Amino acid sequence: MRRPRPEAPALPSPRPPAPRRAAAALLAVLLAGAPPAAGAARADEAFVTSQPAETLSVVDLASRRVVATLAIAGKPAGIAVSPDGRRAFVTSPDGKALTIVDAAARRVERRVEVGGGPLGVAVHPSGSPAYVADWYRHRVVAVDAASGRITGEVETGDSPSGLAVTPDGALLVSADRDSDQISLIDTASLTRLGTIATGKRPFGVTIDAGGRRAYVANVASNDITVVDLAARTVVATVAVGERPYAVALAGGLGFTTDQYAGTVTVFDLATFAKKAAIPVGDYPEGIDASRDGSEVYVASWEANTLSVIDTATLKVVKEIDMADGPRAFGLFVRRTD
Amino acid sequence: MKMSLISAALAAAAVFGAASGADAHGPTRQKVSETIEINAAPEKVWAVVSNFQDGSWIPVVAKTEGTGGNAPGAKRTLTLKNDATVEEEVAKFEPEKMTLMYRIDKVDVKVLPVTNYSSWLIVTPADGGKSKVEWRGAFYRGYPNNDPPPELSDEAAVAAVTGLYKAGLENLKKQIEAGN
Repeated sequence: MRRPRPEAPALPSPRPPAPRRAAAALLAVLLAGAPPAAGAARADEAFVTSQPAETLSVVDLASRRVVATLAIAGKPAGIAVSPDGRRAFVTSPDGKALTIVDAAARRVERRVEVGGGPLGVAVHPSGSPAYVADWYRHRVVAVDAASGRITGEVETGDSPSGLAVTPDGALLVSADRDSDQISLIDTASLTRLGTIATGKRPFGVTIDAGGRRAYVANVASNDITVVDLAARTVVATVAVGERPYAVALAGGLGFTTDQYAGTVTVFDLATFAKKAAIPVGDYPEGIDASRDGSEVYVASWEANTLSVIDTATLKVVKEIDMADGPRAFGLFVRRTD
Repeated sequence: MKMSLISAALAAAAVFGAASGADAHGPTRQKVSETIEINAAPEKVWAVVSNFQDGSWIPVVAKTEGTGGNAPGAKRTLTLKNDATVEEEVAKFEPEKMTLMYRIDKVDVKVLPVTNYSSWLIVTPADGGKSKVEWRGAFYRGYPNNDPPPELSDEAAVAAVTGLYKAGLENLKKQIEAGN
């Protein structure tokens, strides 16, 4: 097994060349220096990877502002924030690395060389390990959050992409993009329990709060496969916009990022009826919901925006400018209380 | 020696492509944006760039054949001056924003070393009644697997598309300004 590299130095400031990036950094410094309003609880944050910009931006979701920017080398794509909000895990496919970030301190704790093509990432509900999907070597590796050590690996189907863990931590699901299936993996033993056929080219996978169903976005068949995890059966296949990338769940609704359509399709989780197609910036990719389900956040890679969708009105209420190429593939909303 | 390396790389790409499907791609989508100012009214420039059935302003294009006009889903096949062909399709047509988005459905990586390619042509007004044209692209490199050969790397893809856009926009400017 590959040994992880010792702790990498933190990279506190973004790369200087682009004026826009410099302006963002200045803004981040100015805002970080401002004290929070007295007595007010800090709002949750979005941790957004910008792939060509090679940054991780922290967005304060109450003020809708970027409050910190970290440099992350190797074209960062995947993100997973631990449920307790302590750490963020970022994959860099070009750098073949997982970067572990102290989320509150905005500091890189370490960078772990995982090899292959790290893309999807999910974290166990306990905060460790982080699971990293290897797009090229068709496996998932487990990385201990505190030490950065690789503690195990498990074979998947071809080109595992999105990962998700059930809230009880027992089951890991990988979307095996080039096998048109998901793999169900027992986290305790890191063994594969079975596979379930999906639509074509499954990419993002999201598990509901009860751990009952998985929602898989199928890029090539333009639909969502809804899976009953206990029964290991497909409950429904829901047609959505062109090239769906990932799914978020909020208020009894499913929200999909339709990369080619430039929309977020909304469907009812009980009836699977389509409710809306909300136009957002081109190439919407990462999507996640606020903890209370009142908002959904969408990273649009081409438009360089994070769109805020009100889940009651199904309208975009804000577009937040992001560093070039926001991707944020994974669960990127961080609790701060 | 060099040619045999390229051939081997292309053969490998073809094999992996066949094994994992046409949608397989590299890890990191690339972006290119080129802009030019043209001394003509935006409406006049838009009339040229939005005509999906005539790609003659792009210097490498010898012939355009297609169906469906400019509407989403419209198709065209560009025959290049080296006899290679590129099949493309309109994704979005937004005259109110003077924006055309289209994709490449089929191209050999030996012709343009990219996959999953989309592009945008956007016309906006500039000072003095002039126009600004932006040509944007989003694509993956030609080699779908890890550790690409140089000919099919991210850098090669970006260089090829940048070259195409620069030459295309310069020719567009020349053609439109000569017609003024």
